[in-house]
Formats: sequence, C-alpha cells, structure tokens
Amino acid sequence: MDGIHDLGGMHGFGAVVVPGGEAPYHERWEARVFALHLLVAMERLGARPGGRATREQMDPVDYLAASYFERWLWSVEQGLVGKGTIAAGEVEHMMERLAAGGPEPSARRDPEQAARAVEWLGEVVPMQPATRPRFVPGQDVRVRRMRPAGHTRCPRYVRGALGMVERVRGAGELPDLAVYGKGAPVEPVYAVAFRSDALWGRGQEPPWTVALDLWESYLEEAE
Amino acid sequence: MTEHRHDHHPRPDSRLALRARALEALLAEKGLVAADAIDAVVELYERDVGPQNGAKVVARAWTDPGFRERLLEDGTKAIAELGFGGAEADNLVAVANTPTVHNVVVCTLCSCYPWPVLGLPPTWYKSPPYRARMVAEPRAVLREFGLELPDEVEIRVWDSSAEVRYLVVPMRPAGTDGLTEEVLSALVTRDCMIGTAVPQAGSP
Repeated sequence: MDGIHDLGGMHGFGAVVVPGGEAPYHERWEARVFALHLLVAMERLGARPGGRATREQMDPVDYLAASYFERWLWSVEQGLVGKGTIAAGEVEHMMERLAAGGPEPSARRDPEQAARAVEWLGEVVPMQPATRPRFVPGQDVRVRRMRPAGHTRCPRYVRGALGMVERVRGAGELPDLAVYGKGAPVEPVYAVAFRSDALWGRGQEPPWTVALDLWESYLEEAE
Repeated sequence: MTEHRHDHHPRPDSRLALRARALEALLAEKGLVAADAIDAVVELYERDVGPQNGAKVVARAWTDPGFRERLLEDGTKAIAELGFGGAEADNLVAVANTPTVHNVVVCTLCSCYPWPVLGLPPTWYKSPPYRARMVAEPRAVLREFGLELPDEVEIRVWDSSAEVRYLVVPMRPAGTDGLTEEVLSALVTRDCMIGTAVPQAGSP
C-alpha cells in the first residue's frame, strides 16, 4: 500500500545522526516486545498479514509519532486480537490490574519453548532457484506503474523508472498476495539497478546507483 | 546494549512499558508464551548474535581469498562455515567495496537488516530520515557520519526491502599486513558493514 512506511526519497525528516541513535533499543520493554513478537509468530498466535504488513496499516500520524518498537507492540496486539488469541479490551484490563498493584501472573516457565525459539531463529530457508525467468542480466526493464491497496515490496520511488537487471536472485512467492495467505504465484526475483538520474533527475551529488530486488510482475520490458 | 543508554525519548515511556508488561502477562496467564522463552530470545540477540559475527566474517574474507570468493558467491552458505545463520539471513548477499565502488545498505519500506551477522539495527537505521534520504542523497547522509568519498567513487545503495539481506565487505585498510584475523576483526565496526563508515587501521 502507498502508506507512510514507504519513505524512500521523502523530504523533511531532518538529520540521521542524532543523539541516542546508536542503540537498538533504550528500554527493557522494547527488547521484550521484540522477542514476544517473534514468539507470537513462531506459535502462530497472530492473524495475517502480521509483522511489517500489519504495521503498514497503522494510521500515518501514529506511525511517525511512534518509536520503532511501539509499532511492533501495536502490530503484535493487532494480530493477537485479529486471530482471537486475546479479546479486545483484555490488554487494557490487565494494564489496570497491574497499575492498581493487582497480582501479576506468576512467570510461566517453559524451557521447551525457549529452546525451540532459539532453534527456530537459527533456521535458514533460502529462496528457490528461478525457473524460466523472463528477464536476463544486462536487460533493461521498466518498473510498472501501480497503486496497490495492499502490501507490496515495490517502493513508490522506483515505479515507472528504467533500470537494468543485474542478477536473477531466485524465486519466491509474490508477497503482495502471500502475506494474506492467498495463493501467491512463485515468481523470479531480480536484482535491478537504477541510475540516480532515472529516479531523481539530475541532483547536486555525482551520480550514484540504487539497487533493489523486485518480483517479476513488478517489471515490464523496456520499450 | 543497555550499557549505552541514552535518554532520547521526548515523551514518557511508562505507559508503553505498562502496556508491554500487560501483554506479556496476558499471554503468560493464557499459557501461550513463557517468560523464559522471551528471556532466551532477548539474550540471543544481546549476547550471541551481533556485529562481532559480521566482523569475523569480514576478517576471514580479508585473510582467506577462497573464503572471500565463496562469500561473494553465496553469503548464506559462506557464513554457515563460521557457524552463523538464521532468521533475516536466509538470502545473504555480500557486496564488496573496491577502490571505485562503495556499497551502503538501507531498507526504505521497513528496517530489514541481516540479524545473524549484525545483530539488531541501531535506532538511526530504522529512523525515517535514514530510510528517506539514503537512496536520494547518499553523499549528504554519509557526510553526516563523517565519511567523505571522492567524487569518482561510485556509490551503490542497496535497498533491502525484499527478501535479500546485504552485508558490506569493506576494503582492508592499508598498514594491516601480518595482523591476525582476530586483530583485524576488531577494526570492522558495525557501520563498516552497513556502509556508513570504512575501517581505519589502528581504530578500536
């Protein structure tokens, strides 16, 4: 979707290097939400689309105001409620109970789940090799113009732009459908390189290259 | 990570901390997610998985030409030789800097990052300014990091918004001949492997 998360090329956000920017997180709850999110995914406790595709649906004002792990907290809750794992209002209820000094549930221990999580995070599932790719390395391609209402991995800033296929990366399910559990086609994925002037026009900096991986249906032959 | 605490949040986090605690408590009460499983995942990325892994990969590539070749051919397979791999490096591509090409990585749509070799990304990597600007004004961003590259060096920005995760293999600094792999790995900082810095002989 053409949401606020699709940030490439936008102006107005200020400096990158700012105090406090070095650490991955600053509060313990952020680390625990990160872990909780992964465990919810592992145990399939959340609804689709889940993860980043859910975060993209955040209200744009809230998205920008939220810290990174605040967005993760939001998305994991959305998924849990969406699947019916927890009911709407249950989190608020528990917050009131804890804030009032009510009993905290005794920490549940499950060494099997802990071991399984570490093993799961060590698993590697590479892309499949591409069969019969339509484009070949060295070929010029144009990114289709589109305005998808749902999740996509085709950022706005490359749409309509002319690029060159550098490599066939492999093949994977088209995420635009796969995240919703709809029968997604397995498509070749290409590393496509764009010259900076094809994306941004002539700028103040010497030309550079931007490269990204694009699914076949995002691309068309250059005319 | 917690040893580098900085107060940066302009608004109080207590409400969010309570919300996170409540969610964890709720899932514990329902018998779905255990506290020690959360601890295990947190510890994994605080203790075992971090940029020290990527630094070992780069130092090996600097000292072993055969490994370097395998790394550039198939990053995921090559890092497995050193015992690294897992979520967010299923399709790892290593991109090597040369005297004429400098690579740098961003994720404009999300904040994707090769966890098994770099750990969890710094806050700036996930921030809107980095995600917005790196693809559109790389030299201005690199200058903020104190990195000035000659005009004739081609900057290649890799947007890892799809499934591939990128690891930058920086150039080995001059004056490091004869150093052991272990000493070399200490020169390879996280930012060198994102591409917002280059290693300096005699640094850390």
